[in-house]
Amino acid sequence: MTITGNFTDFSLPELLHFLDHGKKTGLLAIELLSENSKKQHYYIWLHQGRIVAAADRLDEKGLTLMIAQRGWISERVISRVTRICPTFINTPLGLSLKSQGLLQPEQLKLLFNTQVIRQISTLFEAEDALFTFKPTTNMPIAEMTGLSMTGTDVILLSLRSLRSWKTFADKLPDPTSGLSSLIAKQPQIPLNPEEWQLWEFVNGEISLHHIATHLRISLETVQQIAFRLIVVGLVEEHFMVASATSNLANSSPAVALAAVQQPPEKPNLSQSFFKSLVNFLRSK
Amino acid sequence: MENMRLIVTGTVGAGKSTFIRSISEIEVVDTDTIATDETALLKTKTTVALDFGRLQFSPEMALHLYGTPGQSRFDFMWDILIRKAHAYILLVAAHRPRDFRQARKIMNFMNQRAQIPMIIGLTYTDSPDAWSEEDVCLALGYMDENHLPPIVKVNPTQRDSVANAVIVLVHHLMQSCVA
Repeated sequence: MTITGNFTDFSLPELLHFLDHGKKTGLLAIELLSENSKKQHYYIWLHQGRIVAAADRLDEKGLTLMIAQRGWISERVISRVTRICPTFINTPLGLSLKSQGLLQPEQLKLLFNTQVIRQISTLFEAEDALFTFKPTTNMPIAEMTGLSMTGTDVILLSLRSLRSWKTFADKLPDPTSGLSSLIAKQPQIPLNPEEWQLWEFVNGEISLHHIATHLRISLETVQQIAFRLIVVGLVEEHFMVASATSNLANSSPAVALAAVQQPPEKPNLSQSFFKSLVNFLRSK
Repeated sequence: MENMRLIVTGTVGAGKSTFIRSISEIEVVDTDTIATDETALLKTKTTVALDFGRLQFSPEMALHLYGTPGQSRFDFMWDILIRKAHAYILLVAAHRPRDFRQARKIMNFMNQRAQIPMIIGLTYTDSPDAWSEEDVCLALGYMDENHLPPIVKVNPTQRDSVANAVIVLVHHLMQSCVA
């Protein structure tokens, strides 16, 4: 089923995590407004939650041009190879060229890095963009290097190198919250040293504020590291209960509380209670 | 007197107050106030403290419904209620992906404080922008379809729909009591 939204509602890291864990296959189309009000389009293809290609065009010529611009293989040669190579029909272009000895594995990695990781990292800084994800099994063979990466890995790489966190300012965990682990064992995802440092405090009892003090790093940095761990599904925000606030507009919580007395202890309910309630609801 | 305490929680505008109003036999204690900041963009009023409704279905049996504020800054009330509640329903507007993160936070908050049966009530499922049930569950963090709570589509403005949601929750609670 097609899903739509925008980055202010559902950020790109959350979206990629969603597509990764849902093992989705299809095309993620992104439309964003640039500074001169021109619309720009980007496309990310996923197979079983893994990112296999990205481009700013749909004619499957992006990778060919990238290779040609680097002076590795000309467009003419690529075109000839794809015509004569029988396996090209079902094989990503990058692997076809590698099998012909025209590209080395290191070159494929560089291409994937530019095509996917760098592009998506740039998109992470987009403040407002529309997205549409359409499930499809049609993969752009000519746009694929043959390499792929999980959405989770791309998220971590991109967030670690993010320059401006303005886009995620309202999504960062609260300084008064702690962190609770969502996994039973140690993370299988490769974490960097500062992420491991924060992992040591994932017990739900220490606020981010106190963690920052203990680690002698800024609260903002701790929030950003925590956000990374939250968005890849390793931890969740653990809320410490807030005390009553007087910052209410035209409210009278005392009245509300007086109208509803604090409930007494919780007694067990009988089976006849449940049956009577269900019968009553069905009868009306 | 047997009383069941049911919490109706969810994000701003998901339909909590309407849900309670649809089924309560008493006038719901109206604790609406003028919405401030970003919630004002969604609705002009929002529940600040909490809504209370009641359904007395026999001389000695009643259902009490407590609706929580949609904004997380009022968690101290939730902490009081959740520890005394028998079950809760989390209302999620299926057409507002911006609220999925907050819904997930609410679920985490509830589950960290008490292990009580819960169901998810999807509202606005007839909206053209509504995400599918499967995708909403994924966005809420449910990766394993074998560990999903019961999910119902509910129209908070319709009494029958609300009654059906409460029946699903009661059945779920009955099963957990047996287990």
